[in-house]
Amino acid sequence: MSARNHTTPAGRPDGIEHLRIGLTLAVFVLVVGGFALLGLLMPRQALIASERRAPAELPEISQDAVLSARFMHGFEGYAADGFPLREALRTARAAFVLDVFMLGDKDGLYEHDGSMGRFEPLDAAAVLRAADGIERMNAMLTENVAELRLFCAVVPDKSIYEPRGYPGFDPELAKRLLAARLPGLTHIDLSASLGAGDYYRTDLHWNQAALADGSIGAPGALEALSAALGCDERLDRSFTEHYAGEFAGVYPGQLALPVAPEALVYCTNPVIDAATASYLDPQAATFVEGPLYSLSGAAGRDPYDLFLCGAQPVVRLDNPLATTDRELLVFRDSFASSLAPLLLSGYKRVTLVDLRYIDYRLVPEHIELKPGTDVLFLYSSQTLNDPSVLHAG
Amino acid sequence: MLFSSVTFLYWFLPAVVLLYYCVPRPRGSLLGRNLLLFVASVVFYAWGEPLYIVIMLSQACVGWLSGLLIERFRARPAAKALLVASVVVELSALLVFKYTDFFVANLNALLHTELGLLALALPLGISFYTFQILSYTIDLYRNKVRVQRNPLYFATYVTLFPQLVAGPIVRYAHIEAQLTGRRHSLVGFASGVRRFCVGLGKKVLIANTLGSLVSVAQDNVTAGTLVAPDGAVLPMGEQSLLFAALFLVAFSFQIYFDFSGYSDMALGLGRIFGFEFPENFNYPLAARSLTDFWRRWHMSMSSWFRDYVYIPLGGNRVGVLRHTTNILIVWMVTGLWHGAGWNFVCWGLFMAAFLIAEKHFLGRVLARAPAALAHLYLFVLVALSWILFESPDLGAAGATVLALVGAGSAGIAGPVSWYYLCSYAVVLVIAAVGCTSLPARCIAGITARAGRPGRLVRAVAEPLMLGALLVIVTAFVVDGSFNPFIYFRF
Repeated sequence: MSARNHTTPAGRPDGIEHLRIGLTLAVFVLVVGGFALLGLLMPRQALIASERRAPAELPEISQDAVLSARFMHGFEGYAADGFPLREALRTARAAFVLDVFMLGDKDGLYEHDGSMGRFEPLDAAAVLRAADGIERMNAMLTENVAELRLFCAVVPDKSIYEPRGYPGFDPELAKRLLAARLPGLTHIDLSASLGAGDYYRTDLHWNQAALADGSIGAPGALEALSAALGCDERLDRSFTEHYAGEFAGVYPGQLALPVAPEALVYCTNPVIDAATASYLDPQAATFVEGPLYSLSGAAGRDPYDLFLCGAQPVVRLDNPLATTDRELLVFRDSFASSLAPLLLSGYKRVTLVDLRYIDYRLVPEHIELKPGTDVLFLYSSQTLNDPSVLHAG
Repeated sequence: MLFSSVTFLYWFLPAVVLLYYCVPRPRGSLLGRNLLLFVASVVFYAWGEPLYIVIMLSQACVGWLSGLLIERFRARPAAKALLVASVVVELSALLVFKYTDFFVANLNALLHTELGLLALALPLGISFYTFQILSYTIDLYRNKVRVQRNPLYFATYVTLFPQLVAGPIVRYAHIEAQLTGRRHSLVGFASGVRRFCVGLGKKVLIANTLGSLVSVAQDNVTAGTLVAPDGAVLPMGEQSLLFAALFLVAFSFQIYFDFSGYSDMALGLGRIFGFEFPENFNYPLAARSLTDFWRRWHMSMSSWFRDYVYIPLGGNRVGVLRHTTNILIVWMVTGLWHGAGWNFVCWGLFMAAFLIAEKHFLGRVLARAPAALAHLYLFVLVALSWILFESPDLGAAGATVLALVGAGSAGIAGPVSWYYLCSYAVVLVIAAVGCTSLPARCIAGITARAGRPGRLVRAVAEPLMLGALLVIVTAFVVDGSFNPFIYFRF
């Protein structure tokens, strides 16, 4: 791109070249200068709503921070998070990647016919590490209480049900690895019982209303799970749906693409209506009663907190209408929050333990384990692929 | 600091350009502007390597003092001794930081010793600025340049941020006159802006996007196997021919768009500040032979090795055996320049073997072959060479070769590689066309045919396109998708 292609006989740029030069400089000054100036003048947001996080703060300036380049690394995040029109630019990138380059995904995030998701291939080594964690927990439980009925199930990522063939988590391989490492457990296969319609369009989680509605999915994850646990005959499936508000999951924010929100619905039946939910207060080491469905959580940063009040180390659900003494202990991640109420009619008590928020060695202090209890390890592909989030030794 | 970062594009660059053009030039002196460029360059370097700035300034100091002493003792034996001493000191820094662990590891393997590794982080751009300093002292000794007595001007030359960390290797002779008497004009500035934006687009849009594909493909091909608890041997990735081919093709484009994009940005920034650096790329992937490729790829490096290693060894004005040895030596050193590892040595020797073959017989065959066949030969050869270049070890290189011949666990192709082929098809096509001169020739042809109206349309459309490019690049940068430049590690 020579700068001296079109010149007058005196060697100077002609009128058109002058226009080209002038416009080039004007555009450069406008874009670079404009963004730089706006960045200085515009107030910084307190929260990046689309990504449900606070923006990076200006790193502390100290001799140590500068000499170790910590300040410089932190500054880039600060500058990027506070960049003017950041959300519009992120949307522009997503549109460019998906519509101009026509990539199947943006950093693993995809959008297809209004359904959004993120695929992540199975990390076999990580799954085996997760299995080791489960085994440690399992050994501790069986050491104290006999005749526990042990189960394990994987919640597949919804990407595997998309027609585009995303190279996501392979639940078959996961089951095979877990079964080989955990031979004493009964492994329940949920992958054939679920479909794309069982998940929210905009979020990673499964949709409680779809799980409760046996017509979606064949024969349905709830059926498959309750049959394997042996509580299917006690299950009360007369659910009533309640609208809790609009729901835009994590993916529209991560993908930065606008999408119509979907309905957040929760299900009740007489058992759920009569049930009590108690949440462990880790500081006081006592259980505090709370709502089973938190409508204030539904209106918060993550509406999925509607179910069992979101992130909780230990939750106890008691069923006063129970016709059985059987109890269920679930080691879980967030997927079980919406599933547990549906299973409650099959048990007198359902206890949920989330090892992301409590160390496994503290668990026995907070649960009352009886002989014959059903113990279910229910983890999603995301957790199995990153077991470091579990405090399981 | 990366060019493709918010910090550089929207904090550092506007501030430096603004200050630079505010600095007055009393009687045409560039002292003030050079001082500003030097300070800015130190900040630029220290932003990523705060402590290693000392190494770079020390090496610059040695180069400058050596220059003064070589000039002082010109035409005396001491001048040669000083040159040798200077070269040894400059190369020592490179050897210590870049090659010590390589030598120690090999010594340990050879003598079964357990000498500890230094595990030093490589100072950014050390291979580039060391070669720049050497070009000054050697050319000064050869009387090709004049001594630079002003330490600030010399330090500005060594540290000049547009080309500091990833080239092109600007010899002192190239910008000797520009340090004291460069011209600043709107024509040059606008040309620099154009070049910079194009380079930024090549790097951020094409190279980084393909970088993701390279990463996935290489991970799959070299993933190895896992022995499951039930004793079954499970492949950890899809080791297929398609994935291996995708890895090599995508990496060929990635490294070209990454490095030539950086060079474009360096040239563009240079022009913004009034400098004219030498070209570093000339559509190398469109070459018809490896000899031709190396005349077009990283030209500042290949010409450096030609002038400072190959020709002093005797070049081609010696017997066949000596000439062949010279080529092998130069390419072994070129391989080592890229990295301290046997894979780089093997890569250099691979290049040397084909260059020698082309000199003796293959070149004549290629000259007579249909152009498409010659282009295909070059592309396949270069793509295959990356197996050695980009593999972390020879085991990974072996796994890639196995997959490439269809002997991987997934055979010819699998669902994962198929997904990625479909997903990246458009980008691969854009890259394939973009690495040739076709787009530039098309634009020039259309503009020429359209005459004055065509030039007018271009005069308006081109700046608007550049603006759009800058905005979309900003979107990519703000969304946190950039990768480090590949050539930073050299």
